[in-house]
Amino acid sequence: MQPSDWDLVKKCKAGELSAFQELVSRYHQKVYMVIIGLLHDREDALEVAQETFFRAYRKINSFQGGSSFYTWIYRIAVNMSIDAQRRRKRNPLDFRESMDEVLEAQNQVAKDPFADVHDRELREKLTKAINDLTPEHKAVIVLRTIEGMSYKDIGEILGCSEGTVMSRLHYARKKLQDKLSAFL
Amino acid sequence: MKDCETIRESIDSWLDGELNPAESELVRAHVSSCSDCSEVRRQLEKLQLALKDELLVEASQIESLLFWREFERRINEKRSWPMELAARCRAFFATPQIAWAVPAVIVLLLAALSLDAVLPWWRFGGGRNNFASVESIDAYGRSVALLRQDETRTTVIWLYEDQEGENEAAEEATKSGPAF
Repeated sequence: MQPSDWDLVKKCKAGELSAFQELVSRYHQKVYMVIIGLLHDREDALEVAQETFFRAYRKINSFQGGSSFYTWIYRIAVNMSIDAQRRRKRNPLDFRESMDEVLEAQNQVAKDPFADVHDRELREKLTKAINDLTPEHKAVIVLRTIEGMSYKDIGEILGCSEGTVMSRLHYARKKLQDKLSAFL
Repeated sequence: MKDCETIRESIDSWLDGELNPAESELVRAHVSSCSDCSEVRRQLEKLQLALKDELLVEASQIESLLFWREFERRINEKRSWPMELAARCRAFFATPQIAWAVPAVIVLLLAALSLDAVLPWWRFGGGRNNFASVESIDAYGRSVALLRQDETRTTVIWLYEDQEGENEAAEEATKSGPAF
């Protein structure tokens, strides 16, 4: 039987690095998904993902299991991404360039005989539309998309009520629907 | 039946499974009979799928082992030797197999120190004498005095505040202005 996250956390607290490696292998892709969804820049997202796990590793002794491990790690990831985004806002030109690189790379990923131009366009527009949302609205929509996280969990991660999560999600989706109506 | 505008406010929460059974049934019934609201539902589902696809494509490019190696390099790089030593000590003492040894050693030491009350020839600790010491423990005039009388085997520990030090601290606080 696979050890639970909490079992692995306890082993980490006892100094077992291999237990933390297991936690990283369980969550690094999902954490990266949250961060790339918020930052839209691969290089920055990888750096923030590394820093997220590094911070979690250093603070593992302060994690008491009051919430689940994934809620805790996502909370660190979201906070660090929002910080990174605020820092980056000071240099919007760099950001525009890096976002274009992402879009270009996405087109390359989609280059297979069955990829359809319409879907590719939708993805490009979607990236741009999400990018126009505020960090708080981006965060709810990205967290909801990954594994269909509940409003309660999202609220715990972002430190807000379920009602706030619901209204932010509704607003964010409405914005995206309006901007992408021609592609949906 | 509720109007389309009201129902559309709840379609996304319904798709997320966050409505109670009664509300959920209301929305489901409306959406299945209204082509406009059914279209909104389809768009929301497509939006969700497109976003998930986008994130999955990105995440699939992260190679687990490479990610871990980079992380490992980072922790090895950033840990200075005192941190490393502290982490190793913590790991050693936190190991469940030896956790019982810590209180056991404390109890044994206390027992050894107390034996001279019943065994006059027992001089564990190298034959203690009368002892007095005063140490300042912080910058605010707090000090600790320790007095040990060997014959009566009495130890007095006295924590006190030096009035002069206190005044200095008060003066400093006045100079630096009110603290908010």
